[in-house]
Amino acid sequence: MENRNFHQTLFLTRFSLKRDWLKLTIWSVLLIVLFAAIAAKFTGIYDTQASIDEIVKTLKTPSMVSLFGKLPGSGPYTTADVFAAEMTVFMAIVAAIMNFSIIIKNTRGEEDSGLLEIIQSHSVGKLSSLSASLIELLFINFIIGLFYSLGLQVANLPGTDSNGNFLLGLGLGAAGFMYATIAAFFAQLVDNSRSATILSYIIFGLMYIARMTTDVSHPKATWFVPFGWVEKFSTYQDNNWLPVFLMLLLSLILSIAALWINNHRDIGSGIIATRPGRARASVFLRGPLSLFWRLHRTSIIVWVIGLLILGFTYGSIFNTIGDILKTNPAMKQLVGASEINKANILIIKQFVSLLMIVFGVLALFPGMQIINYLKSGENKGYLELIHSKPVSRNYLFTSVLILGILTSLMALFAGMWGLQLGGASVMKHPIELSVFLKGFYAYISPVLIMLAITAFIVGWLPKITSASYLYAGFALFVEYFGKLIDLPKWISKLTPFGYITKVPVHSMDIGTFWWQIIIALILIILGYIGYRVRDLNSAN
Amino acid sequence: MTMNQEKNAILHIDHLQKKFGKFQALKNVTFDVYPGEVFGFIGPNGAGKSTTIRTLLGILRASGGTATLFGKDVYKDSVSIHKKLAYVPGDIYLWPNLTGGEIIDLFLKLGNTKHSAKTDEMIKRFQLDTTKKARTYSKGNRQKVALVAAFSTDADFYIFDEPTSGLDPLNEEIFQKSVLELKEAGKSVLLSSHILSEVEKMCDRIGIIRDGEIVETGSLSDIRHLTRTVIQYQTMKPTTDLKDLKGVHNVKLEANGLTTFSVDSDQMGSVMNYLSSKELVSLQSTPPTLEDLFMRYYNSNEGR
Repeated sequence: MENRNFHQTLFLTRFSLKRDWLKLTIWSVLLIVLFAAIAAKFTGIYDTQASIDEIVKTLKTPSMVSLFGKLPGSGPYTTADVFAAEMTVFMAIVAAIMNFSIIIKNTRGEEDSGLLEIIQSHSVGKLSSLSASLIELLFINFIIGLFYSLGLQVANLPGTDSNGNFLLGLGLGAAGFMYATIAAFFAQLVDNSRSATILSYIIFGLMYIARMTTDVSHPKATWFVPFGWVEKFSTYQDNNWLPVFLMLLLSLILSIAALWINNHRDIGSGIIATRPGRARASVFLRGPLSLFWRLHRTSIIVWVIGLLILGFTYGSIFNTIGDILKTNPAMKQLVGASEINKANILIIKQFVSLLMIVFGVLALFPGMQIINYLKSGENKGYLELIHSKPVSRNYLFTSVLILGILTSLMALFAGMWGLQLGGASVMKHPIELSVFLKGFYAYISPVLIMLAITAFIVGWLPKITSASYLYAGFALFVEYFGKLIDLPKWISKLTPFGYITKVPVHSMDIGTFWWQIIIALILIILGYIGYRVRDLNSAN
Repeated sequence: MTMNQEKNAILHIDHLQKKFGKFQALKNVTFDVYPGEVFGFIGPNGAGKSTTIRTLLGILRASGGTATLFGKDVYKDSVSIHKKLAYVPGDIYLWPNLTGGEIIDLFLKLGNTKHSAKTDEMIKRFQLDTTKKARTYSKGNRQKVALVAAFSTDADFYIFDEPTSGLDPLNEEIFQKSVLELKEAGKSVLLSSHILSEVEKMCDRIGIIRDGEIVETGSLSDIRHLTRTVIQYQTMKPTTDLKDLKGVHNVKLEANGLTTFSVDSDQMGSVMNYLSSKELVSLQSTPPTLEDLFMRYYNSNEGR
């Protein structure tokens, strides 16, 4: 490396790969196996033209378009087309989560913890660390994309072609890298990793909503949304490589921008700087509960409002979804207007019942994050001084539980309320809030069980706190995809969500509610005991 | 201080042990701290100072032995003990998005006290800018936040774990002055440190920990008694028998004609008699510093 700015970049890249090998291997293997296994399964599920036509009909309904993107091209469709249609958007979402978490940790996270300063004091270029992280992610996304493609080649779904296999695989890899550069850019803009994560997800959420709205109304406009580019591959139909180049181009621009900012700022600072604050604590900051609220305030607000907006956006396509005459015009002759209205509402309710798991799991994340703070704050050394105060462990545990549970329930409620408001904004006869609240009430118990599991892990197995996020992700996957890929029924019984009736189509089952609440209570009590007897960790 | 004579220890540690898995971090920690006393807790990195302190705080649970503060079990009664305790850790991590002032007030409120005139005085003394977010503080400034909170807490027992490692000499002096005030007010202080001059200056008694074991406790003069004084001299008559005397070590003839050796404190008298019988021309003695003591315990295999 001639250029001083990039001195030792490749060495740092190798070092990062070595340091992160376990994390990278787990992510890659998980994604590749998931992708390839589903591909392999598809030959079994959609083996007849009749079953393909059936699912295509479903995929063409507005509700499915809003969730999975628009089915490209025109028929006749093959198994491969169905696979591409169902998997593309989903895999892109997972890629975003993976890339956000890795690159923010490796850039701004290293800077927050002071590690970057030690590295920079050696003979390395000013831009080497950031470049090394970008190269690391480029490499890993390429590998994942390559294996996707090879997996598709091996699965050899009816209707595939090699061009499409490599387009879909490498295209998803490119999408992953694009998310890495988006987060890398924000990590340079703000001066701490939390803000970088929040900002990246806000942008991601906005892009998701934008692509959903345009898909349903003006599919062409989806070209303006980087998130939507993956849909424009038109895999196995037109096999369009243009979106891949667009993603790489955007990645290049964002990388250069990130490097430019990195070169023009001081270590530890951002473009958006931290301002001085108050010299004295306000009367509201007075104990653990208010401290935890203060620490998580921004993320709680972002999640609650985020779910409200997501709900609103889904709600605002109710008129398109709940228009049965669009897909079945003959109906008008057969039944009366009120019958049609009833049928329309049933469709909407069915759509909402499919969405419930999305809201349920998304609402879980901030709650889990707050409960896990007992562990993450402990690890970072923030809680050591609190532990030396006359504050009992029970009190700390209770504080995070209350805040975590309230946050999750509030987020879930916001989602439901958003659906109602969104629906009301477009429908002549809006659906009442009480219908959506059926979903809310039914989901209280599984949400509580999931949070109780988090609390239990914090109490007894603090080393594996990230397992609760994985479990929640698993629940989302099983409930959201389970039917489409024909998973066995017992798998859905592995999470508490699998026992909930189809709300709001049906009413909630009060028996299920109670036994789930009791399990949650038992787990929470066990968690208390574990947290009381275990050693607390300190930083170092 | 007559209080030392009262044998009601505020802190009583008896054969404290702590295991992390298979690793025995604390093997045998035994010492007492009395009212109105500053107790120096010294030892190298990794000897078990912080582990001992965290056990005393009830953050870690002892694997064996007992430890009581104010006569109460440090683990079971941690909450009521903490009402009368103030602590400053060695590495201080503060919430990056709160200001120093907010954190100080929070700590005070958690200890059921309030921001007082004393707090303002300490802020002024340490010259801390309380409006800054903690993420912008240097290590020394983070330490000041914890110190201000601790010193303005009305506790009976204070624990400082290497509190001055990030402070400049000026602030180090302010720290020492503030500890002295605590002592005058009859409070007890446990000061863990490896800055020996600090310990020498401030502590009434010290305990030395090595590999999870207390190897020595006592007042500085008690401990000095166990050590050797280095003597450099010149005599008219030859002193060939010196090296055979009891308690004499490392006799060396220097290039300038002077001889140096070290002598056990309890043999000082007889050695001096011998030397003066050889017509002393010059004599210089260097008293043992804590550092010599420290080195003797740590460096070598000659400890126990």
